[in-house]
Amino acid sequence: MTVDALIRWFQSWTASGGNITFLLILSVILLALPVFLIMAVNALVAVYAERKLSAFMQDRVGPMGQGPGFHAGKWGIFQTVADAIKLLLKEDIIPEAADRKLFILAPYVMFLGAFIALAAVPFNQKLLVADMNIGIFYIVAVGSLSVLGILLAGWASNNKWSLYGAMRSAAQIVSYEIPAALSIIAVILLTGTLSMQGIVQSQAGVIWGFLPNWAVFNNPFTFLAFFIYFISSVAEVNRTPFDIPEAESELVAGFHTEYSGLRWAFFFLSEYANMLVVSAVAVVVFLGGWQSPIAGVMTSAWWGLFWFLGKVTIVILIMIWFRWTFPRLRVDQLMNVCWKVLLPIALLNIFGTGLWSLFIG
Amino acid sequence: MSKYIVNIWQSVSTLLIGMGITIRHLIRIRKGNVTLQYPKEKWPQPQRKIGFDPKVYNIIRSKLHVDIDDCIGCLKCVRACPVDCITIETLKVPKGTDIGMTSNNTTKRLLVKRFDIDMSECLYCNLCVYPCPEECIYMTGGPNSEKKTIDYEFSKYDRSELLFTFAKITEKEIAELTAEPNELPHADEPGGEA
Repeated sequence: MTVDALIRWFQSWTASGGNITFLLILSVILLALPVFLIMAVNALVAVYAERKLSAFMQDRVGPMGQGPGFHAGKWGIFQTVADAIKLLLKEDIIPEAADRKLFILAPYVMFLGAFIALAAVPFNQKLLVADMNIGIFYIVAVGSLSVLGILLAGWASNNKWSLYGAMRSAAQIVSYEIPAALSIIAVILLTGTLSMQGIVQSQAGVIWGFLPNWAVFNNPFTFLAFFIYFISSVAEVNRTPFDIPEAESELVAGFHTEYSGLRWAFFFLSEYANMLVVSAVAVVVFLGGWQSPIAGVMTSAWWGLFWFLGKVTIVILIMIWFRWTFPRLRVDQLMNVCWKVLLPIALLNIFGTGLWSLFIG
Repeated sequence: MSKYIVNIWQSVSTLLIGMGITIRHLIRIRKGNVTLQYPKEKWPQPQRKIGFDPKVYNIIRSKLHVDIDDCIGCLKCVRACPVDCITIETLKVPKGTDIGMTSNNTTKRLLVKRFDIDMSECLYCNLCVYPCPEECIYMTGGPNSEKKTIDYEFSKYDRSELLFTFAKITEKEIAELTAEPNELPHADEPGGEA
């Protein structure tokens, strides 16, 4: 259900076709609401999963209080709901020395980056907000908006920790976008399209006799590219082991040190939404999007949604698994990994994929 | 170049080992964890045979308790207390009025109108216990623990709830006991706060 389709559907209701500007605004708002809903639900569920899984990995029990039967919940399943209510009710503090306008603007800029990136994510055969012919390019481009938000927040807070965090984040995200984009290019060489739906559709069928024809299984180079993309995307969303922008033990809380209440919640929301976006890109580009893992079986639209969300969930769970296993990288190690390891291999991948599709594939 | 590849291989393989450890802990979820959901789950009470004879040495001092029926209002515990957490107010009764005996067969001569112990101030030094001639003030869990079962959980939600009052006597009883037929009732004597 894209914006165009929605406008056409509205126009079929009226004889004259209606005011196109009004219909455009209406359709955009109608489609933006579910996207926001997806972001909010994703944050609620992912935070709960993260807290529970981290607890289990560390032999703890995690949140147990909030849930059915208030304060006597079995598994604390409403913990994040309670957290969200708490954040809404908290006092909103703006430091006196802060740059007030930028301070207020920053969380929304970061939120915007994640929000508009979700517009191009195909949830199944029909469900996406905008089917652009440059979908993947669009997502990579607007994904960089989050670094702008982080820089704004760090600068506007007028706090040493915030500024350090923001500067580190800028260096990190700008560096890691290069191997991430290069590993996506390796797949685009195979598919020959930048459209998200086109990339998913090109991954239908079976390869090597039994495996689904997903890009990750296509050839050894794209297999490697998947891991490079995954590592770079973890770095792009500032998660451990690449969380130096908010490194608790060094920088208090990094760029969001001075934020509280709802503004802080927006940072949190966009962090988890960014996670969703990079996982969705990983799924669409490398893991076949809404394609069924067994070719030709269970291919309806509902099953497509199920496969897509299932794959995204698995990728997010692996990110959580990463976070609670690895210690944080030092700044120089971080740059070493990016420029000396991931970047050369990503370049080699493009070369290898080109040769493969010329001579073998 | 070979060192570069070995480095990458080593980091990847060691990362996988680390991930293996965490996933193993994740899979056997509540086997090794020691978290206790405290108000709902409790540790079993410890065995008191830990090398000391509880009759001799006060191992557990969880709360001061007073057997108010045995108290003669001598204020010795009040004077012993280093932090003044005990407050006692007594009243004289007219000669000849019988207000009972203690369990040590001492005749009680003063009415204990008020006996408060503020456990938020108490430092559990046990010094008030020794001077008591009637052995009516003691730490629960200590040598007198057979008098009262041990309870470890005297924590309260509000600080004011830590003020324990022991005097049971009512205003009406005070009036009856202090009243003399041919005299006006005594004015309340102030309590001897040390």
